[in-house]
Formats: sequence, structure tokens, C-alpha cells
Amino acid sequence: MFKQILSKINDASSPENKAFFDQIFQKLEVRYPNREDPWGLNLRRARKSLERVWPLYKHYFQVRCFGLENISDQPFIVVANHSGQIAIDGMLICSMFSTEVEPPRILRPMVERFFTGIPFIGSWAAEGGAVLGDRQNCINLLERKESVLVFPEGVRGIAKDSSDFYEMKSFGRGFFRIALATGVPILPIAVVGAEEFYPLVWHPLKLAKKIGLPAFPITPNLVPLPSPVDIHVGKPFIIPSELSADAPDSELDIHINAIHASIQKMLDEGLTQRREFIANKVSEKFSTRLNKKDDV
Amino acid sequence: MSDSSPKKLLILGMAGGLARITTGLLLKRFPELKIVGIDSRPMVREYPEDRVNYLRIKYTRGNFEKVFRDHDFDSMLHLGRLSHAQSGSTLNLAQRLDLNLMGTKRILDLCLKYKLKKVVVLSTFHVYGALKDNPTFISEDSSLRASIKYPELRDVVEMDQLVSGWMWKNQKELSTVILRPCNILGPQINNTMTRYLTAGYAPVPVDFNPMLQFVHEFDMAHSLAESISHIPTGIYNVAPGDAISVREAKKIIGLPTIPVPIFLLESMARGFNTPFWSFPHYLLDYIKFPCVIDGRSLHKELKQPFRFSIRETLELLKDN
Repeated sequence: MFKQILSKINDASSPENKAFFDQIFQKLEVRYPNREDPWGLNLRRARKSLERVWPLYKHYFQVRCFGLENISDQPFIVVANHSGQIAIDGMLICSMFSTEVEPPRILRPMVERFFTGIPFIGSWAAEGGAVLGDRQNCINLLERKESVLVFPEGVRGIAKDSSDFYEMKSFGRGFFRIALATGVPILPIAVVGAEEFYPLVWHPLKLAKKIGLPAFPITPNLVPLPSPVDIHVGKPFIIPSELSADAPDSELDIHINAIHASIQKMLDEGLTQRREFIANKVSEKFSTRLNKKDDV
Repeated sequence: MSDSSPKKLLILGMAGGLARITTGLLLKRFPELKIVGIDSRPMVREYPEDRVNYLRIKYTRGNFEKVFRDHDFDSMLHLGRLSHAQSGSTLNLAQRLDLNLMGTKRILDLCLKYKLKKVVVLSTFHVYGALKDNPTFISEDSSLRASIKYPELRDVVEMDQLVSGWMWKNQKELSTVILRPCNILGPQINNTMTRYLTAGYAPVPVDFNPMLQFVHEFDMAHSLAESISHIPTGIYNVAPGDAISVREAKKIIGLPTIPVPIFLLESMARGFNTPFWSFPHYLLDYIKFPCVIDGRSLHKELKQPFRFSIRETLELLKDN
């Protein structure tokens, strides 16, 4: 059994997978001839990170992707629900864009400001493609034909108690104003299964605030559980050309709510087709939304 | 003064490497041009042309106005900001502030009094500050945050703001250009970054790897020469459209490095100031956090694009 686990961890170094990664990164080197970009991406390091994440993506979280045909070869503002206490969902979406989308691309996740100043982790994330979650930064990336990953729920989305699982928080408006300013379409994505990485979780918000952290999850399992993950890609949301980037919030909200509703719908539908996993029962017991669905 | 040839130019900071290259370019481009160069340092190399007149005086001296009285200048190039690399440990912040701010203010007033038509001032990208929440490609209208953390950078920011305010106030009388270049590199440039990159066994942060930008000394001189002749009033970043990480830059130079966590580097920078490790602690953030600037406004105005890419600039530095 130990041998089996080891072979799966080293999956990326098998000749077959080496050829697979060679092929991906040959294409990416055409896009990034210097193997770096001004935001700190480093293709060599990005490959190493991807090779480490790949066995988790493939064997541990057993990711399935739906709706990949909706991803055309153009820049997108990828908007997804945020879940799972730590940003594993972002890592899985980025891995999907590198390994399952043609042509492969480095999706640029927008990260919190505090993150970029953490020694080692900040530079590791930047070398893998992560960028500062700043409006101007995002616009500059989109102008260079990069695709960005945004979680408009922010930390409120990822740091949910078990009772709020699969209940999306309201969206911020920043991503939509950026889309209006650049005209880049929004690609909605729903991730099902990530909430069960930590099925029992409680957030003492006052304590988190006191120690200056955006969230402070308390959970019995420190290691994320191997909950199977499904990533559903929706149809691109075309930005209304008649709307200005400086339009009042009320005019934006109609569209933002529509995007929110479309992702929530994909989540609800995704929950009906998800694979069996032991922690699903735990989350179903505590989640208000899942209980409501059962009642219906 | 759009697209006109300068006839008589005053250059402050004439003994520096950048002034030498710019002078050579200007003399070649404008056959009628005469230059008066001023510096408190001795001239390293004489110019063969009689079109260059070198005066060794301090521009803070009372009789400095005589230079303006004796020559009918139509333009001025201010390269005389005293940087850390030049002042070293001999001058404290107060003295640097006095030289850079009071001196510059006085010269700008003289430019106005003697009815110059064009003023070009060399500032630096350090004014933006290297901070963890900097966006990539900082534009010219971004706030100047360098002195938030380090008061040692006050003179840099205040001089830039002083010139900016003066520029807009007097834009009807004369055209002013402020250039904020990224790290200037080249064999004739003696600044902190050139010394850092060309030092063997220089410490490199192991826990951060920010992106840096470099402009070759020739491209910088070219930008200054074009600013004198035709670039309109305004503030312009000077940088290529690309960037390179500090580790990759050191790798291209090819000298051995010592990987060190940044907190140790800070102690080293505060404790030592030797040829082995001469890096002011208040500039360490520039090899910790990114400060990548957007040079597109200047590129739109330049008649000839930059000659060297960042990698070519580093290769050329390596060859020297």
C-alpha cells in the first residue's frame, strides 16, 4: 500500500506524465519566452508546483471537470464560489486551466494584500502565477491578455461555518467594474466538494479580529479530507456594452446578481450529481442549505 | 519648444557617467549646441570639442547665478541630485535634503528668471516606494509612498514633488520634463544597483524574489536627449515593458551569490558599509518587494525605441 501511495505522489515524474508536462510547458514557453513575466511568474517554478499539485488534483481530490467547451482561447475574468477554509479550490481551478484546457494557460489568481508580504509563501505563490488583488493590477493583466481568477465573496466566502456550506455570500462589485473597464467576459465557475475538505468547522470571528487575522477556522482535521471535487464551468457572461465602468451600484447589481444566481444554480445542480463521500453526510447534517434542499 | 533644437544647454551633475554619455549624444544630434557642465567633483575626462565648457562649482554657492548671467541658456538638464551612492556615509539626511531641495529650488527659480525654455529633471522610481501592495506597472500619477517607511528617502520624494509643483505652476512660461527611471545600469554608472549586481558573493534574499527593471545607460541618455528636444511637459517613467526577478538577474551576471533571509540582510546592511556589502538598509525593500513601473507614456513620445532589452543590458554589464 505504501508503494502505491508513493507511486501516486511521484505520478508527475513517470515517463508518460513527464511527456504530458513537457507538452504543456512547451506551449507556455511560446507565450512567456523569457520564462518569467513582470508579475513574478516563473515557468520553471510553476512547473515544479504543478507537478506537486497534480497527484493531489488527480488522485487525492479526483477532480472532474464539466463544461470545458465553454473556455475559448481568449482572456477571461474567471469568477468562482470560494470554499474549503484554505484556497485549495483556487489551486485546483488553476491546475485545471493548465492541464485540461487547450491551449494550456496560467490562470492568475488574485490574492489578498497580506499574502504577498509573507516570506517564502508570497514569492512561491507569485512564481506560480498568483498576483496581488488590486484593481489596477488586474486591469494591467487583462490588457496583456492574461486570464484572472477572482473570488468575489472574498474571505467571507472561504471562512464559512458548517451551517453555511454551499450558501454563497454576496459578491463585491470590484470584479464587475474591472470587466466593464476592460470588456473582458466573465466566466462563471462552481466548485462542488471543497466544503467537505473540513466538514466540521467553526469560526470565532471576534478572536480572529483580535489577533488581526482575516479568519480563524477551528476544525478537528488539520489535513483536508480527500473529498472528490467537481468543477463546473458555465457559459461566459458577456459584458453589457451600454453600461459604463462608472455606472451607479444599482445598475451593476442586476448583472452581479445574475452571475451570483448562475453560480448558485450550478452549485445546486452539481450537488445532485456529486460522488459519495463520507463527509457529505456530516455536511448534510449541519448545513442549513443542504437540509432545505432535502426538505424540498 | 516642441521639436526645436537647443542652442545652449546647462548640465548639472556633469562629472557623472550619465552626463558624459548624454553630452556625447547631444553634441552628435545638435551640431550647433553648446554645453556648460557644472559639478562640484573634478572632471574625469576632458571633452575634445570646444563646444563643452566645464565649471567646477557647487550649485548651492551664492555666486552660482553668475553662470546664468554669463551664458544665454535656453535649456537645462538637472542630473545633479545627490544619491546615497554619491554621498555615502559622509553626508547625513539633513545635508542631503539641503543640497537636493534647497539647491534645486534655487536653480529652478533661476531658470524662470533667465527665461529658459526647457528644463529636464532626473528623478528616480524610488519615489513610488517598494511595498508589498504595489501593483505591477505603476503609472506616473500613482502616489509617492517611498518615505512612508524610511525617512531616508524623504529628499527623493520631496525633490520630485517640489519640481512637479513648480512644473505645473510655470507651464506657460517654460516646458519641464521629469523623468523617473528604473535602475540605470551600465559600465559608466556607479549606483547602488550596479554595484550590487556586479559584486561577487553578494547576498540574495532567499525568502523574496521581486521583479526588477533595468534601463541601459545608453537608452537613458537617449531618453534625456529626446526630452531636451521635443518631449512635452509632464512626468514620465523610464522603463522597458518587461521585468526580471532579482535571482534571475544575478544568474545572468553569473557571479556567485549567498542566499540569505531578508531579516539578516537588514542587519547586515545596517551594520556594514564595505566594498563587499554596500547597500543602504532603506533601499533593501527594492530587492524585497516589487516596484515595477509603467514606461508606456514615454515610449509613445520617443522617436526611437530603446535599443537594449533588460537581458541584453545585464549581458552587457556582465561583459564589462
